[in-house]
Amino acid sequence: MKLTGIGASEGVAVGPAFVPATCTPEPERKQITQSEVESEVQRFRDATKAVAGRLSATGDRLRASGSEKEAGIFEFHVEMAEDPELASAVEERIRKLQSPEAAVLAVGEEYAAEFAAMDDEYMAARADDVRDVTGQISAQLMGRGASGFEALETPSVVLARSLAPSDTARIPGGMALGFVTAEGSRTSHVSIMARSMGIPAVVGVGPALERVLDAKKVALDGGEGSVITDPDQDTLARFERMSAALAEERAALEGYRHVEASTSEGRRIEVAANLGSASEAEDALEWGAEGVGLFRTEFLFMERDDLPSEDEQYEAYSAVARAFSEKPVIIRTLDVGGDKDLPGVDQGSEENPFLGWRGIRMSLDTPDLFKPQLRAILRAATHGNLKVMFPMVADVGELEAAKTMLQECSKELESEGEKIGEVETGVMIETPAAAVCAAELAKESAFFSIGTNDLVQYTLAADRGNERLRRFQNADHPAVLALIRHTCEAANEAGIPVGVCGEAAGEPEMIPKLIELGVTELSMGAPSIPRAKKIVSGL
Amino acid sequence: MVERETTVGPEEGIHGRPAARFVQAAKGFSSQVIIVKGDREVNAKSVLKITGLARKGDKITIRAEGEDAEEAVETLSQLISADEH
Repeated sequence: MKLTGIGASEGVAVGPAFVPATCTPEPERKQITQSEVESEVQRFRDATKAVAGRLSATGDRLRASGSEKEAGIFEFHVEMAEDPELASAVEERIRKLQSPEAAVLAVGEEYAAEFAAMDDEYMAARADDVRDVTGQISAQLMGRGASGFEALETPSVVLARSLAPSDTARIPGGMALGFVTAEGSRTSHVSIMARSMGIPAVVGVGPALERVLDAKKVALDGGEGSVITDPDQDTLARFERMSAALAEERAALEGYRHVEASTSEGRRIEVAANLGSASEAEDALEWGAEGVGLFRTEFLFMERDDLPSEDEQYEAYSAVARAFSEKPVIIRTLDVGGDKDLPGVDQGSEENPFLGWRGIRMSLDTPDLFKPQLRAILRAATHGNLKVMFPMVADVGELEAAKTMLQECSKELESEGEKIGEVETGVMIETPAAAVCAAELAKESAFFSIGTNDLVQYTLAADRGNERLRRFQNADHPAVLALIRHTCEAANEAGIPVGVCGEAAGEPEMIPKLIELGVTELSMGAPSIPRAKKIVSGL
Repeated sequence: MVERETTVGPEEGIHGRPAARFVQAAKGFSSQVIIVKGDREVNAKSVLKITGLARKGDKITIRAEGEDAEEAVETLSQLISADEH
């Protein structure tokens, strides 16, 4: 069977299908000892919090994509996960030395049995809801997330309705040959992750995905956006030829990896990589990255129940600073919101998370979260060439407030006798407001970086996760181009560099346009770097 | 202690999202809040306890004890008697 979706990450892949599922294995440990009681109670509380956070984020995501009814179910599930009566019943069992993972399943079963016995099909159906939620808490306690990616033991093509960054982040290295999702667009996080990992992906295939979940083998073409399940011999042969052709194209680009790209007019364009973690640094350098145009820090904050400490952040930022040594690394301060899930921070429930309390807005309101990050960046800057960039800035007041906080952190660190490095500050231009106010912002910035993904969605008022609005997921729109031009003019006037770190930076047809508009740096998923350098060199 | 008798409004009784919304509202009050239905008394801040407790048209009593008991009973009885949430 053939499905058509959006080619989100180039390349072809053929492999066995893997469908992540919520699976709750039977707990091996049934009993605990008296001395473990308090720590196990705490672990149970942390697990419920993590699960509730995840459920709540899923609900927000569904609501944001217009699935109000499904979102309501998650609201109900969040309340179940946080239920005080569930908690006290489980804690009572833990105090009687039952393991929390067994206790929560047992209590869940009690409620499920009660609901199932009700003479009302609506109520009886709630039994599955309870089992689902308590199963997730139990799985969390056993160190498994809800998605079961840990079960992925042979390299496979992952089929899923959607894949959150926390899901892709959990896949064991080398196990994903490709991604196919029912939802999503080129700028969804799954697409971004796939491109940065160099894994072929087809997203937005729609509900048809449901019909192929039992496929044994899947072939996908992430350039064309096609998926063929249980391919015949001819198809397999065709995919092999495509794979060889792609390898040939990559080989032709080999020579461009380490060139310093300039246009024929002699304009030097820096080509950098977008990274989500320090572990990607080595690969990025091999692809020819001349720096990091965007280091996303939110991944440090995900997949955990607490916040990363200043020291832990310092280690992560130092690692990337060291790897790139004198090459510039732009660290973007925490930007959570939209479709990212962050159990460590309570963002509450928002009607419109993409328009919500995120980025610099959240950071300025929560110095306890923001200052350790700024302190970690300042300290790590002694190991390389770090710059800091603030996301979601809408006016110059926010930039000033953030810079003031950075100065406070510098002073505090100096008085504590800590060594700190020089750190330039810049703004991520991703709200139309920031683009319009670029001249004012430029006076207070050492650089700009245009985040085209959000700039497109905010300028065109089109949710980047909504597949029906696919045609809007494109920076090549007169309104977006006008804002980019305006930003570049303001940057040139002020004599500061201006980069693009959104998806447009790596798109062959957009690169010439961006450079013509005045962009001086392009930052993209590392595998796209050689091609971008070739395109720049040909201009 | 403040209490008020009211009639359940939602078509499908207390469960799912109406139940979640009710519990969210109840948690907003510091008072201890209980729903009484016949001889059953349950914690109004527990979605598991209130789920399936009553159907549309059933008479229940909301009882609260604490600083904001008056307000809690007022808000919650209105919420539970409304047709939709």
